[in-house]
Amino acid sequence: MLAEVAQLLVNGIVTGTLLAVPAIGFTAIFAVLRFPNFAIASHCTIGAFAGYVANVTFGVPAAPALAFAFLVAGLFGLLTDEFVLKPMRPYGALTTAIAAIALTVVLENVVRFAFGNDLRGYDLPIFRDWRFWGIRLGPQQVENMALAVSVMAALFLFLKFSRTGKTMRAVADNPTLAAIKGIDADLVGRIVAFVGMGLAGVGGMLLGLDTSIDPLTGFRVVLSVFAAAVVGGLGSIPGAVVGALVVGVAEELSLLVVEPTYRSAVGFLAILIVLTLRPRGLLGEKAY
Amino acid sequence: MNEQEGKTTMIIATHRLSRRSVLAAGAAGAALLAAPAVVRAQAQPIRLGSLTPLTGAGGAYGPRMRDAIAAVVNEVNAAGGVRGRPLQLVTEDDQTSPEAAVRAARKLIDVDRVAAVMGTWASSVTTAVAPLCWENRVSLFTVSGADSITLLPHQGYIFRTQPNSRLQMRTVAKFAVDEGAQRIAWMGPQTPFAQSSIEEFQQVAQAANRPFTSLIYEADKATYRSEVDQILRARPDFIMFGGYTPDSIVLARDLFRAGYQGKVMAPAYAISARMLEALPHEVTQGAMVYEPWPEVASTAYSRLQRLLGSGVEVDPYTAQTYDHANLAVMALAIGGDGNGLAIKDNVRRISQGGGQSVDNAVDGLKAIVAGQKVDYTGASGPCDFTAEGDITGTKFRYQRVDKGAFQVMKIA
Repeated sequence: MLAEVAQLLVNGIVTGTLLAVPAIGFTAIFAVLRFPNFAIASHCTIGAFAGYVANVTFGVPAAPALAFAFLVAGLFGLLTDEFVLKPMRPYGALTTAIAAIALTVVLENVVRFAFGNDLRGYDLPIFRDWRFWGIRLGPQQVENMALAVSVMAALFLFLKFSRTGKTMRAVADNPTLAAIKGIDADLVGRIVAFVGMGLAGVGGMLLGLDTSIDPLTGFRVVLSVFAAAVVGGLGSIPGAVVGALVVGVAEELSLLVVEPTYRSAVGFLAILIVLTLRPRGLLGEKAY
Repeated sequence: MNEQEGKTTMIIATHRLSRRSVLAAGAAGAALLAAPAVVRAQAQPIRLGSLTPLTGAGGAYGPRMRDAIAAVVNEVNAAGGVRGRPLQLVTEDDQTSPEAAVRAARKLIDVDRVAAVMGTWASSVTTAVAPLCWENRVSLFTVSGADSITLLPHQGYIFRTQPNSRLQMRTVAKFAVDEGAQRIAWMGPQTPFAQSSIEEFQQVAQAANRPFTSLIYEADKATYRSEVDQILRARPDFIMFGGYTPDSIVLARDLFRAGYQGKVMAPAYAISARMLEALPHEVTQGAMVYEPWPEVASTAYSRLQRLLGSGVEVDPYTAQTYDHANLAVMALAIGGDGNGLAIKDNVRRISQGGGQSVDNAVDGLKAIVAGQKVDYTGASGPCDFTAEGDITGTKFRYQRVDKGAFQVMKIA
C-alpha cells in the first residue's frame, strides 16, 4: 500500500511537471490579456505536431525539436490572437473565451486535415523502467521532467531579469499604471500571446513524447491545464506550477479510491473545491 | 419525380418559352406522375449505402470493405441489375466515430434514401446508427461484435456477420487456458462489449481454476502507467487487451516499460500491422492475436479474391461486407419495393434453409428469377442468421508476433 501511494505520487509529480508548462502559458495569457484562452488546447496539439515534423520527418533530436514546437505554436498563437481574438476583446472576456473555444475547434481540424486522425509516436527508443524501493520511473519521464524544468527555469529568468519580462509583469499587475509609464500594452499583449502559446506547444510535445499524439492531444489535457491554473490562482505563474502539481498528484491519487475511468472528473472536482473554498486559488492572483 | 420535372423544365428553358410548350410539358409531366408506380420504378436505381471506417481506428479495413461492396454492385449492374433496376452505391466514411457515423448515416438515409447501410465496423458506431436505420426501415449489415447490438429492438433490420463478443471471448479464453495461462487479466476501454467480455473470461477462468482480474480504463488516453501498475499488482501472466489499435499501442508500451514479461493477446484489429510498425520489435515480441476467420476454402472467398486483385489476403471484415452486398442484392430480387423492408423480410429466404447453393449474387439473381430457392454460402462463412440477426458459428485464426511479423499458429 505504501509503495502504491509512493508510486502514484511519483507518477503525479511527473505528470504535474509536464502539465505545468501549458498551465503557465494559460495563466500568463490570463494575467495580461484578462480572458481564459481555451485555444491553448489546439496550440498544444500544434506544438506536438510541429515537434513531430521536426523529430520524425527531419530527424531532429527531441530537445531542439521542442524549440521548434515553441516557435510554431507561438507563431500560431501570435497570429490567431492578432486577427481573431484581439478584435473580440472589446466585447468582454466571456465573448473572447467563447471565440477562443471556436478557434481551438477550427485549429484542431486544420491539424486533422493536414495529418489525419491517426495516432503518431515520436522517433524515440523505448526502455524498461528503472526500479528502486518498489517504485518505477522511466528514463524518458526523467528526461521530459528535466526538459520541462529547464523551460520553466528559463521562463522565470526571463520574467525576473529581462526588460520585456518586467514589462509583462507590470502590465499584468497594473495595466493603468503600466500605460502611464509608457509601456506599450499592445506589444506586451503580442509577446504574451507568442510566449504563452509557445509554452502550450512545448507542453503538448512534452506530454506526447512519452506517449503518442493525435489531433485531440491538446483537447484531452485542456481540462487538467485549466484546473491547474484555477487551483493555483488564475493569473499567477508560480500558482500554475503549484496547481499543476496538485492536479497531477490528485488525478493519480484518485486511483486509490475510484476506477481509472473516472479520473478526468478529478480536474472538475479540483476546480469546484477551489472555487468554493478559495476562489482566488492557492496562491492568489498576483502574477509573479 | 421531382427530378423528372426538374429535367423537363430545364429542357424547356433552353428553348424559347411559349405558353403552348409549357402546357405541353406540364401535361407530359402530369402523365408521367399519373403513370403506375411500377413503370417509374423500372427506371429508378436502387441505392445501397456503404458506411465503413475509411479513417480512424478501423481505417486499415474500411477502404477494402467498401471495394468489396462496390465489386458486387458492379457485377450485378453488368449482369443487368436487380430485376431490371440498376444498383447505385453511395459510400460514406464513418471515421470510426459514432458522431461522424450518425451524420453520414443521416445523409445516406434522408438524402440518398438507401435501402441498406452496410459495413459498420466499430460497435459504438453500429450502436449509434442502428436506431436511425430501423426507424427509417433501412436494413443494417454490420461486422461489429458487441452482444448488445442484436439485443436492440431492431425489428429485424440488423444483420450481423461477425460472431458476437460472448462467443468470441469464450473461444479466446479457452485458448488462453490451453496456452498455459495461470493468472489471467483483461484490460480494455469502456466499449459496448467490455462488460460481456469480462464476464465470459471470468467464467472460463473460474471453470479452469485460474485467478482472474479485470480493469476498464478511459479510452483515448496518452498514457496508462497507473492502470498498468494497478493490473500488475495481481501478477498476471496472461493479459487480454479489449481495445483498439491506438490504446493498445499505448498499453503495450507501458506494459513493456513496467517490465511485464508475460503473454499478451488481443483481437487482430487491435494488435495490427500498424501497431507492429509503430512499436519496436521487443515490445510486441510474442504478442498473440485472434480474429474470426473467413471460409478461405470457399468458392465465394476465391471469387472475392479475384475481384479485388490477385495475391491480396482478404481480411475477415472485407469478406463479411462482400457477403452483406450479396445478401442484400438477392433479398431485393425476391420481391418487395426495392427498399429496406424488402431486404429485412427476404434475407433469410436466400441465406439459409436449403435450395440451390450459390456463392455470388449474379448466379443467385438468375436462379431467383427462374423461380428457384437459393441458399447463399459466403466468403465469411455459411451466413445463416438467427431470429435476432446473429450468425451461427465461425472459425478463428490465431497468430503470434515474431520479430515484428505475424506467424500463423492455428485456424480452428
